[in-house]
This record gives sequence, structure tokens and C-alpha cells, in this order.
Amino acid sequence: MTTTVVPAERPSAVTARDLARATATRQQRSARVKLWAGAVCTALVVLPVALAGLLPLPGANEQDLSRRRLPPLSEGHLFGTDQLGRDLLSRVLHGGQVSLSVGILAVLVSGIIGIAAGSAAGFFGGWIDTLVSRFLEAQLALPLLMMLLLVVALFGPSVTVITCVIAVAQWPEVARLTRSLVLVEREKPYVAAARVLGLRGWTVLVRHVIPNVVRPASLVVLLLLAQAVLLESALSFLGAGPQRPFATWGRIISDGQAYLTTSWWLVTLPGLVIALLVVGVNLLGDALRDRTRRRKGA
Amino acid sequence: MTPTPHSAPSESPPRGPLSRRTLLRWGALGGAGIALGPLAACAGPTGAPGPGTLTLGLNRSLVSLDNKLNQFDAAVTVQRAVRQALTRIGPRMRPELVLADRFEMTEPTAWSVRLRDGVCYSDGSPVTVEDVATALRMYGQVTGSFLLGLFPELPTVEPTGERTFRLRTQHPVPVLDRLMANIHITPAAANRPEELQSGLGSGPYQVVKANSGAGEYTLGRNTRYWGTRPRVDTVRVRFVPEESSRVIALRSGEIDVVDTLTPDSADQLTGLPGVTVAETSGVRMCQLFYNFRKPKGHPLADARVREALTYAIDGEALIRDVLTDSAEEAGGVVPLALEGAVLAGEYTYDPRKAKALLASLGASDLRIKIIWESGEFAADTSVMEAVIDMLQAVGVRASLQQFEPGGDILKWRQGRAGDWDVIGNGYGSPTGQALTVLQGMYGGTAEKDRTGDAFMGYIVPRVERALSAAAMEVDTTRRNEQLAAVQRDIWDTWPSLWAFAPKTLLARRDRVHDLRLLTINSYDLSAVRLEG
Repeated sequence: MTTTVVPAERPSAVTARDLARATATRQQRSARVKLWAGAVCTALVVLPVALAGLLPLPGANEQDLSRRRLPPLSEGHLFGTDQLGRDLLSRVLHGGQVSLSVGILAVLVSGIIGIAAGSAAGFFGGWIDTLVSRFLEAQLALPLLMMLLLVVALFGPSVTVITCVIAVAQWPEVARLTRSLVLVEREKPYVAAARVLGLRGWTVLVRHVIPNVVRPASLVVLLLLAQAVLLESALSFLGAGPQRPFATWGRIISDGQAYLTTSWWLVTLPGLVIALLVVGVNLLGDALRDRTRRRKGA
Repeated sequence: MTPTPHSAPSESPPRGPLSRRTLLRWGALGGAGIALGPLAACAGPTGAPGPGTLTLGLNRSLVSLDNKLNQFDAAVTVQRAVRQALTRIGPRMRPELVLADRFEMTEPTAWSVRLRDGVCYSDGSPVTVEDVATALRMYGQVTGSFLLGLFPELPTVEPTGERTFRLRTQHPVPVLDRLMANIHITPAAANRPEELQSGLGSGPYQVVKANSGAGEYTLGRNTRYWGTRPRVDTVRVRFVPEESSRVIALRSGEIDVVDTLTPDSADQLTGLPGVTVAETSGVRMCQLFYNFRKPKGHPLADARVREALTYAIDGEALIRDVLTDSAEEAGGVVPLALEGAVLAGEYTYDPRKAKALLASLGASDLRIKIIWESGEFAADTSVMEAVIDMLQAVGVRASLQQFEPGGDILKWRQGRAGDWDVIGNGYGSPTGQALTVLQGMYGGTAEKDRTGDAFMGYIVPRVERALSAAAMEVDTTRRNEQLAAVQRDIWDTWPSLWAFAPKTLLARRDRVHDLRLLTINSYDLSAVRLEG
């Protein structure tokens, strides 16, 4: 007896081609591309910055006045040298350590402040919500860079001050998102169940609600990292960064702009590094957010 | 029952000639085109000056056209185009008569002055003796004036006629004719002991439009000017703080003249078509000056330690590589271009000697904090970073603290704020005389230092006495001999870690003619003409 195998036929008019062109599939594909592109761009900057001390590079402050402003790929200097004959790649990588440290510390602090304040406002409501909401609205109404410059002028430029200032400047973003997430979470049955079991408000918030909102909130924190690095660079560019001889990205660009027409690499290459990191972190954050949304939807 | 078809229709869903997505795409493309179209205009130069307008780009904000407190080099050019003094410092650093047609020393403590016939302000009112007397009083009442420090004492005015008067001092001031080049004359009724915001003066130009907050002014020809008619109709003064922006604006033709250029900017502009770079030797002394307010027992209170540190600085490399030969290493305590300046010593680079001397003096683990204000002199940050590298090479732990303009470095300088060891400072000489600079920097007394006015706390009584004696010496030859001796004495106190005199650099478009840059980093705006 012979059996004829009939190919399984799609019980619908939707073809594989249609599926491949569907918005959901395109979004999924785009999220994957974004994830990889973001990870590669971020890694291209973060890994060399983190390993700057181990790479066979001259010191960031090692000067050789006879080798000023050498163009890239000359005499063993991949990025060339700056106006004092210092290796530009080394300065960019060591400067990146300062800029990234400030950025990471700032977003960690702002994340903690934002999640704490936002979740308390969302969960308890009432006067706490009013206080936090009005405070963050007031802060959002202030011009950010002006406020940062004012605080740095008052307390003096140092890594600690700049980190704190950026952290304080960025908490409203996290707080707003956390508040809205907590407003949704607090109405869910597990919160009511926890209350019925006799848990107190703070305990419910800390043990049950915050763990459920921390993941999407931390994605915003990741996106803020790019903003924090840009802010630190802007402050250094405007002369409000850490004191010399600390190399920071903003200062390298600021010092290099006097040579814009004759030594393009002094501004362009550090600028490209900043752009690569910011684009990378943003793509990565976007992709992770999309993935979280999809999982939630599923 | 309707049978289910075994295969789906292969053709795509029917589409109209214009789908929603296509419409959105085309809409977005069109919107981007409309939005980006105007940006194309940014590619070309904007705001180019007209044929009869000269545009100057200053790197410091000209907050007032009065010089009582605002006396940086480039400001002098603009200020003197509106307000004038009895004299001015001309070519070869010689005093020239402006509002006065006679300015003679008739006694050791008296100068006879006559106002030029017919000199008047832009409103037509005449310049009077009373205006001169009031101007001197007002300058004397201003606190914190740089100019006041140049005068051993302010003269008083004794009117002797309608246009004549005598300038009287208690002690001889043999360079009074040069000092008076800094006292701008304003109508007595409008003068105040503060920076005047009005622009009424006797100069070849009058203020047409002013925005002192932004440091921008438009000057028009003074139709009632008593002297030779200026050749340019309108002068626009712009404040462009960024050096790179000034360079680009000059290249694009947006600005006609940029002054006080950094060596690197001059390097970028040299050889460009349509641009000429002019340079003269400078009379500004840029120093890394020690803090003389250190308590006894501090290493820097010992001249031998101060001397030892100077051997760590490779001045030749700094001049050649960092300042690109646009400065001269100091060979004395004031710029050698000044009248009365002498070669008093020289800086030697010998790091081994520096190390050995510091070790023998027990100062091997010295820590030094260097402070300065951004823009104090050209290539300031590069010089500072190079210097700390050199100090670290001899084992000195050096740190930097940079102040932005408008910060409180003045308090630090006066010893009323934080502690520091070396300050980056530039000291100009609007009189062209070594004597006035020496008195301003090294003539400190304990009394002056009570208000923080002794320059960086430099108080050496024998130097102050010698300077005072020289300042009162009427005979030029004897005065210069005394000054030479005191300069050598000052050098032996090792007041600076390193010092240099930058050349004055200016760039102009080729349509600007007859711009004669003076050693005092100024030029006569009324002589400038435009072509094309």
C-alpha cells in the first residue's frame, strides 16, 4: 500500500511572505538588529576604555613637545597626537574612564533616587505624590545645563560634585516612569493579597511592587547613561568639568577646537567616539525595551 | 458547506495606486525637504559687513567704552575712538599729544598743559579744564582700578587760563605725560566714579548703538570731530569669545579684524588668501608668579627653592613648541621692549640641578598648586599643562586650578580665598615704561597688602624704596641707571617660576588698510580705511 504524503497546507490566506512583511515581524527583526548594533557600538567604546590601562599605549599625560599634532596613523599613534604631543587615543580612552565613571555613577544614583521617589509617589499617593510630582515638575521646568553650571560654579568642579549634579538632574525621568508603572501595579490582585495577608504598605512596596517595576525602569536608566555622558562632556567643554590634567571627552574636544582647521582629528575622533557610545547605548536600550514590551504582550 | 480552498490565492491583496504607507513616506520626505531647505543657507557666510563697515571681533567683552575698570589691550583701540586723553602712546613708545597741544614739565612737580584750540565733544560742547580736573578725581575714587596702580600719585589740576592748567604732584612724576594717556576725558557733568555707560566723548567716532551686556557696539563717524575725518563710516564691535569662531569668522569675511590672536590661530591664518597677519613685539609680561604671602618656613618663602624650581622649566621648548615662536622668553623682570628695561638674568633649563638643589634644600617632596584664569594669556592651558609635566619630571607634585572669567580669582590673588603657590598672570604696560610696570608689580608695601593690593604679596622694602627713588628722579639717564640696578635686585629674589613676553598678533582681511599695530596692542581706528 502506498501512502501519498500531502503537504500540510496553510489553513489561511496569510502567506509566509506576508508574515515576513508584517509589522510585528519587522519590529522583531529591527529590535534584533538594534540589539546587535547597539551592543557592538557600545562594546567598541566601553571595552577599550575599560582596558585602557592594559593596552600598550603611552600615558594619557605623557608629553612630547617635539611631536605635536601628528596626524592619525603616524609614528605609532593611531589617533595621532594633540597640541602637547600626547597620544590622542590614550587620552580618549583614559578620558572615557572619567566620563563613563561619572555617567555610570550618576545614572546609578539618579536611578535609586528616581525609583524610590517615583514608587513612593505612585504607591502611597496623597501628599507624598503631590510633593514628589510638584518637585519633579519644578525641576523639569528649569533649564538643565544652566542649573548644572550654577551648581558647579557654587561647589567647584570635581568628579564628585559633577556626578551628584548629573544624578540629581536626571532623577525626574526615572521617577515619572516608575510612578506610572507603580500606579498600574498597585491595582493588581497580588498587591491586594499581600495586604490581606497583613503586610504593611512599605513592605508591600519594597518586597512585591518594586521588583516588578525595576526592570522597565532600569531600561530608562540605561538610556539616561548616554545623556549623562553627554552632560558630563558638555560641562567639561564649557570649562566646568573636573580640573586639569584629568582628560575628559568634553575637554579634549574643547581644547582641540582651536585647531579645527589645521588638525581635524583633535575634535573629530573624540567626537566620533562619543557619538558611537551614545548611539550604541540608545540602540541597546531601545532594543531591550522592545523586547520587554513583547514579552509582556505575550 | 462551502469547501475551504486548498491553496491561498498567490496574489497580494489588491492595492490602490497610492497606499497609506506610500503617502506617509512621501509626506515625510517632502516635510524633510521643506525643513532642511533653509539650512542650505548656512553653508555660505552670513552677516558679512557692508562696504563702508569695519567689523572688529574682540575676544573679551567690552562691557563699557570707559576704561576706569575695563582696560584690556584690545579695548583701548575702541575706547580711544570714542573718548580721548590729553596724550597717547604712539609709535616707538613715545608720548604724542591728543587733546593737549602742550604738555611740558616746568618744575619737578608741575607740568604745564594747554588744551588744543577747538577740541569738542560729539555733542558740540567744548573740552574744558574742569573736565580734566573732574576726570582725575573720578579715576581716583574708583576702587580696584588697574590704572590707579600705575600712578605713584594722582596729580591735581590748577587752572591758569581758559585752556591752560598746571598738573601738580607732591613728588616728581617724570612720566606723567605717558600716564595721562590713560585718563579719558568726559564732560564733567556726565562723569562718575564708575564705568560710564554713555558714549559721549571727543573721539572720531560716536556710539550709534550699544548692547554692553553682549559687548556689541556700532560706532558712527563723529560729524563734529575736531581732527582729521575718519575714513570708515561705521565700525561694528563684536564680542566673539571662542578663538576658533573668530578665526572662522575672519576667514569667511564676517569679521575684518581679530586681535590678540593665539599663536596657533595665527599659524592657521598665515598664508591664507585675503588675510594678513601682523605682529609686533609685546609689552605684556606673562609670568608664573610665586605667591609671596607664604609664611616663614614654607619652602617657597626661600628664594633658593624658588630658584631651584626655575631649572625644571624648559623655556626654550615652551617658546618653540607650545607658543610656536610667538613669544620671547623673559630676560628680565619686565619686557625688554619697554623703555628703561634691562637684561637682568635668564632662565636655565637643568632638571638635574633642580632635583639636586631641591634635595639639598629639603624640598624634595614639594607640592605646588598653580592657579590661573582662562584666557589670561595666549595658549594658557597648554603652557600650564606642559609646566606641570616638567615639574613632575623633577619630583614636584603639581596640580592645576583653572578659573573661568568672572570667577573669584581676584580674591585668591589678594590672599582672601584659598591657598596657592604659583599664579599664571599677564601684566600689561599701557605707558610703555618699565618704571610703571615695576612699581605696579614690585612696589608693594605692608600698607598696600592690608587691602590685598601688593602684587601677589611681593613686599621687599629695599626694592620698594629703590623704585620710589627712581620714580622721583627727573633726570632720565640717572633714572634708568637706578631702574637697571633695581631690576637686577628683583631678579635675585626669583619672583617667577618662568616668564615670557608674547608678541602682539593681529589678523585682518586684505580690504582693511593703514592699520598700524602699535606695540601696546592697539591702533588708531580713525586712520584705518577700507577698500573694495
